[in-house]
Parts: sequence; C-alpha cells; structure tokens
Amino acid sequence: MNMKEYSTQTKAVETETTVTLTVNGEPRQLRIPPNVVLLDALRDRLGLTGTKKGCDHGQCGACTVHIDGQAINSCLTLAVMCEGREVTTIEGLASDAGLHPVQQAFLENDAYQCGFCTPGQMMSASAMLEDERIGTDDAAVREAMSGNICRCGAYKNILAAIQTARGQMPTARKEGEVS
Amino acid sequence: MDTQVIGHRTPRVDGEFKLTGQADYTVDWQVRDMLYGYPVSASIAHGTLKTLHLDTARAMPGVVDIFHHGHFPELYRASKNQVSEMRLPFEDERIHYDGQYIALVVAESFEQARAAAHTVQADYHQEEGARTSLLDTNQEGQLLESEGVSRGDPEKAFDEAPVTIDHTYDIAAESHMQMEMHATLAEWRDERLIVHESSQGVVYQHKAMARIFGLPEESVEVVSHYIGSGFGNKLFMWPHAVATAGAAQMLGRPVKTILPRQQDMESGGNRPASRQRLRLGAKQDGTLLSIRHDSTTETSFVHPYVDSLGSATPSLYACDNVAISQRLLEVNHGTPCPMRAPGETSGIHALETALDELAVELGMDPLELRRRNYAKNDPASGLPWSSKYLDDCYTNAAKRFGWEKRNPTPGAMRDGDEVIGWGMATACWPAMRLSCSARVELRDDGSVMAACGTQDIGTGTYTIVAQTVAELSGVPLKDIEVRLGESTLPAGPLSGGSMVTATALPAVAAALRNAFDALKEVATGENGAFEGCDPDNLEIEAGALVDKQGKRVSFGEILSQQKLGSVSGDGQAAPGDEKSQYSFRSFGAHFVEVRWDPGISRLRVARVVSSIDIGRAINPSAARNQVEGSIVMGIGMALTEKLDYDPRDGRLINNNYADYIVPCHADMPEIDVELPDNPDYTLNEFGARGVGEIGLTGIAAAIGNAVYHATGKRIREFPITLEKVMDT
Repeated sequence: MNMKEYSTQTKAVETETTVTLTVNGEPRQLRIPPNVVLLDALRDRLGLTGTKKGCDHGQCGACTVHIDGQAINSCLTLAVMCEGREVTTIEGLASDAGLHPVQQAFLENDAYQCGFCTPGQMMSASAMLEDERIGTDDAAVREAMSGNICRCGAYKNILAAIQTARGQMPTARKEGEVS
Repeated sequence: MDTQVIGHRTPRVDGEFKLTGQADYTVDWQVRDMLYGYPVSASIAHGTLKTLHLDTARAMPGVVDIFHHGHFPELYRASKNQVSEMRLPFEDERIHYDGQYIALVVAESFEQARAAAHTVQADYHQEEGARTSLLDTNQEGQLLESEGVSRGDPEKAFDEAPVTIDHTYDIAAESHMQMEMHATLAEWRDERLIVHESSQGVVYQHKAMARIFGLPEESVEVVSHYIGSGFGNKLFMWPHAVATAGAAQMLGRPVKTILPRQQDMESGGNRPASRQRLRLGAKQDGTLLSIRHDSTTETSFVHPYVDSLGSATPSLYACDNVAISQRLLEVNHGTPCPMRAPGETSGIHALETALDELAVELGMDPLELRRRNYAKNDPASGLPWSSKYLDDCYTNAAKRFGWEKRNPTPGAMRDGDEVIGWGMATACWPAMRLSCSARVELRDDGSVMAACGTQDIGTGTYTIVAQTVAELSGVPLKDIEVRLGESTLPAGPLSGGSMVTATALPAVAAALRNAFDALKEVATGENGAFEGCDPDNLEIEAGALVDKQGKRVSFGEILSQQKLGSVSGDGQAAPGDEKSQYSFRSFGAHFVEVRWDPGISRLRVARVVSSIDIGRAINPSAARNQVEGSIVMGIGMALTEKLDYDPRDGRLINNNYADYIVPCHADMPEIDVELPDNPDYTLNEFGARGVGEIGLTGIAAAIGNAVYHATGKRIREFPITLEKVMDT
C-alpha cells in the first residue's frame, strides 16, 4: 500500500498485542502496538527512566539493559520480542543491601560526569565482569566497553571503577583466571 | 586558606541519584495528559518549501495535530544574545539548512508521533548554489571590525623578520554530541508556561521564552535539574523549544519533544568550520617579532554566531607586533554555537601549530621557543596576571613526560613497528566571573539548603556548592541539600565559560553568612539559646554556635527552642574592580605521544601528560575529570571528528554516532593530569578560576605536532584522518 492509498482510508486502527515479561524481578504485562521498542516501553510505559536513549540506533550504548543476564541495546529490541524474558535495568542493579559493587565503584572513582551514559556503562560493565569470553586486563576491558560512548570522556575513571568492582564482586572473573 | 572540605576529593553529592537511575533529566519527565512532539525536518539545504503533504499523517492513529508555517501561533523574536537561533520555527517557507523544521507532529504516544512524522512528504523549490562549507569555497566572508586587534606594526615587523612562517590551517565543523539530545517538555497552567528543558542556562531561557511568547517574566518557569551534558549547545535555546511550547499552547495540553539524534546534529548547534592564516616573524633566537592571525568562521543564514578565534592570541606570548582579524561567512548549515572553549580551541590550535612549525624552521626545541616568548604580564592589556605559573606547568609536565629524551628528528624515535612522535602545546582559557544571587536556609532538623539558579551539567556544581556550605558551616555533606536548575531560584549564571565556580560560590557563601546572622539574631534574642549575648562573640563551629565560654548549641536546637522551622539568608556577590588591576587567565601545557604504525596504517594517541593551573580545585576529583574529558574530546577533534556536509547540496551526511566518530574506551591513551594548587584569591575568596574548558585548548595542536614529529608530515587540515597521513 503506498502513501496515497493509505491517506484515502478513514482513520487507521492501531493493533495492540499483550506482552508478559519480568522486569527487575517483577512480572509485568504490557498492552502495546508491535512497533514499541523495549527502550521506549521501559521509559514511557513502565516509568523506568533510568535507561537512557542517546541515539536510538544501537550506536551509543546508553540504553544497555540485561535480558536473561546478557547485556543488549534496548533500542534495537522490540518489546514484543521479550515475551517471557527477564529484563534487568539500572533500577534493578542495586539490592536491599545497597549499591551494586559496580555502582559503588563508579561513585568512589568519579566514573561519570553528566551521568547520562552511566546506567548503560554500568549495565555493560556488570555483565562484562561475569563474561568468561572477556579478559581481565585493561586493554580487554576497554575493548569490551567500546560500545558505550561517554562524551564527557570519563573513560579513565570508568576503567578504574570497573577494575575496582572486579575485586568487590564475588561473581566477577578475577585476574589470572583461565576461562 | 586551611580547608576541611574545599580542595579535598569529594564524591558527588548527586552521585547516588545518577547511579541508580533516579536523577530526573528532562527526557525523563512525564506529566498528565502529555503529548509527544516529533519534528519533521527539511531534506534540502537551500530553497523554499512548496507543499507539505500531511493527509497521511493526519489520518494516522493517535495524531492530534501537525504544526507548520501558517498553522502556528504568531510569536515575537528574541534578541540574538538570548537564543541560539533568532528565526522562529515555521516563520516562513524559506529553507536555510538541511534539517530545518518544516513541521511538528503531535500525537498521543511517541511511536504514533514518529510513525506519522515519517509519512510527511514535502515538495521544494530547491535552489542551485547552496554554500556547502567555508572549506569548499574561496569566498572570504564579511570582515568584522569589532573583532579586530592590532598593536605595533605587525606587517613591517613580519616583512623585516629574518625567519617567517606563513601557513593556513583548516578545521572541520564539529558536533557537540552531548549524550542527552535536546529536549523540551512544555506545559501551560493558567497562562503560566512551565518548561522542562535540558539547558545550560535556565534563567536565560526563562527570559527568552517570556519575550517570545509576550509574557511577563513571572509567568514563565524553566526547570533543568539534571542535564545529559551540553558542551555549549544548550546555553541558549533552539527553535524546537519554541515549537513545542507553541504547540502546547494551541492544544491546551503538555507536549514533550525529544530531538532524534539526526535532527540534534543537523539543527542543534555545531562548532563552525574555520580557516586561519597564521603569519609569524621571529629572530634567529626564537624571539617573536610579529604575529598575524587572520580567521574566518562559518555561521548560518539565520543567526550571526561569531566564534572568536583570535581572542587568546594577543595575550599568549610576549610580542610587540600583533594583528588579529576575523571574518564571518554564511553557509547553508544549521546554526553554529559555542562549543567547549569556543573560539580559542580553534584559535590556539592554529597558533600552537604555527609555533611548532616555527620551531622546526629555527631548529629549536618547541618548548624552548615558548619559554623564550613567555609573557610575564598580559601583553594585550599591559596588566599583571592575577596568577600565572605556566613556567611550572611546562617544567613539571615536561619532566613527567620525559621530554628531555626527545630526538628532534622526525621519525627518529621507534618502538618495534611503531614510529613514535612527541609534541606539545600551551593551553589557555580566560577566567571570568559574573554577579550572582543565592539563598541558604538553616533548618530546625540541623540540615542546610542552598539554592542558586545555575545548573549542573555534569561538571559537579551540586557538589561544590555543598562543599562550600560544609566548609563554612561545619555541617556534614549528607545534611546539605543543594537546589539548582530552576529559574525561580535566585538568579545564577549560565553553565558556560568555566565561570560557575568563581561566580556562584561567593554568592552561596554570602547567603550562608546572612543566614548565620539571622540565626545569631534568633539565638541572642529573647528566650534564645544565647539570650543577651553579643552576636559578634558567637562563632560557627561544626553546625553549632559557640560562645567565648565554650557553650555550644546546634543550629537545629537554636531554631527548635524558638519554634522556628528555619532561618534563611539571601546573598549576592559580584566582581569588584580586580579586572582593572589584573588580567585573568588560566594556563597549562599538554605533552603528547602518538604512535604511527605504517605497516597497518594505525595512528593512535598513546600518552598525554598535562599540567593545568586552574587556581584552586574545589573538588580535585571532579576537576581532574574535566581535564581528562577535555583531552578525550581533543583526541576526537585531532583525529576523527568532522561534520561531513555534501559538497553538492550542503546536506549533512554523517548525522549519527556511527558515521561521526567520537573517541571510545578503546581509543584511550594513558592520561596523567597534574593540577598544581595555586589558589587565585584575586578572583574570588576560594581561589578557583574554573576548569571546564581549558583542557581542550592546545590538545589537538599537541597531537598534530606529535604526528609531524612521528611522520615528518605537517597536516594543516584537521582532523588528521588516516588517508592524510598515508597520502602525502
């Protein structure tokens, strides 16, 4: 159907679909049109605005969340693809016991400035620290984190924070560990 | 000044909000009945809009209205110093640049607005002859008499100089690429306009909005609690904010517009491309005889933005004969605007590159050439510097870097397959201060609230305000609340020019001292904790008043005893006549190592050592972070960042993060930043000169000079993309 045909129709009807997923441990149900992107569903429909949009094209990493423990760009994921999946956002990173070791290390190392890319940096970092494919040295961390742009340029402190968190996080891979 | 909190590393007081996703950036705000705006932008750069086809979009689900020329409120223009672009949205059908808004679709959801906006088609009269870039043309631009500076006889001195340099340096237009895109949420409540905007100047936007909508200033409120940065492009508002507020007015419902990244890059500001001719004349011993610095920068056809490239040049080195000129050329681009260390980043780049070329010509060490021309006073004004330790910066940074081991012959230093290049440059940025107001409240629960109508763009303003209160009151940081980012608070400065620290902290201190006076009045009054005592005999100590006998009563108790919730103090602070006595600039030096691997054509910055004298760093961890971040931005400017405008029609080609390349984690060199602690009390009582911008000046030149030292190739067109190193 081309544009002209579309325009001659009466007001188009929007179809909606139901998605059931778990977000930060809570079961959530969404009734959404199929073109809703996970990032926008989290922000606009679930009020979880800690996850940020920096490009909407999978180029900057600000929207990184975990799906079933894997770091992904939520701007490249349709919400309807998340049926039955477990999503963790920055709001779910801390626990009742306090900040996650990555958050604590970011605070202590001043690993941010404006804070807008920071949730994405921390979601990538917390997944990466447990990823056995990724080495533990600085160069490996820099390479693995390169999908997360920080325009304030706080990379030096982010690296320091990640390596600090490695020591504090029981599940993180430690230096010298062979995968 | 012996301090307990100021000058000590302090974790950000807003840190937990940012780290847990609770910080409320503009894009995060939602209000009842809110609609979503999505702009439609022009797909030509030069011509007129003939027809807009909106029927399809209008029939799309959720679409409420579509605004465009002929269907938008009649508004007033603001003055050119109040806004980034004077032209009002949809003012006429003329198209001046690619990305200019031709419509704003408003719908019930973001998805609906986006889908509808993507169906809008436009017919244009596209005109030939778009001016695609300053760098594509030989046109000279208009000479700006007001920007000109001249002392001595620079032309004669140049003609008679035994050694001369005469080169032209081009720098491509850059994009700010701040992570949070421009965003506005506008809401009208009983004839009042409330705007949430990602803004570096809430007080300024508030005035501009009042003027544009013809409202009394009291009827406008602008809020910006957290800003996903802005490197100058959020100083003054853009047309999207006016379009959004106008739409909200017409619809009687709140509207939120977040620019898509592509539109943000096309129409939300850029550092204009520049062309600079530098002519230096010197004696054989390196003494500068003449500096001539002639610049041209771009602006758009709808707003005259001048990036003053020559403003540091008359002050940086001792030289009797100096001439500065600036021209402005209108091009069919989105309007440029200040970008971090505006003007001087580009200007110092050219000067510091030309000096490196002069050093090569003279066979002299580039650091020695700079020392030879050290300016003990400000040569522009003749005034003494308020504080200048640039010689220490040179010495310390050179030593930490190992500069004495430099072999001056290009390409002579190698490590395996890599050729090593070492380069250096001077950094410089003016220290400024404006007048400012603030309010402080001492509360009966022992807490303190400090408020100022400035904002924290990520530089750490919340924290340094809290540190100031903690220092002077002895109240712990956890009991101090800082309120910023609201135009209804006492008027504070723009977050620009590296001037917030020097401007806002003295006002906060003045307000706090007035609050202390109010507290002492309560304490010494009838039934007060220190009834009958002379207020002058009461000292402030760790959140309490203490008398000569050592009796101590906390702020909270004093207020509670009198059934008072709080006392407050309003404070103003303004610069005095220090500018007539001193010249105020910060100075520093960058030393850079690049590595060039010709076998695989890899060029990278491996190491940067900088010493930057900013006076006193209020929060050294945040201050160092500013300089490190500037260095990262400078690496982008030097090697990769370039807005590509199509030379055929002026359209922006690389309007996204994949095609406009900013440094990422893997690009990081080793960075070693020293901030020597030389408080400058002539500018303010805390000795701080500001730190947001100076780190970016000189860094790209130092990198370019290092590339020359590695490769023997002098690249005068920035950025130094790989093909330029491979070609010549």
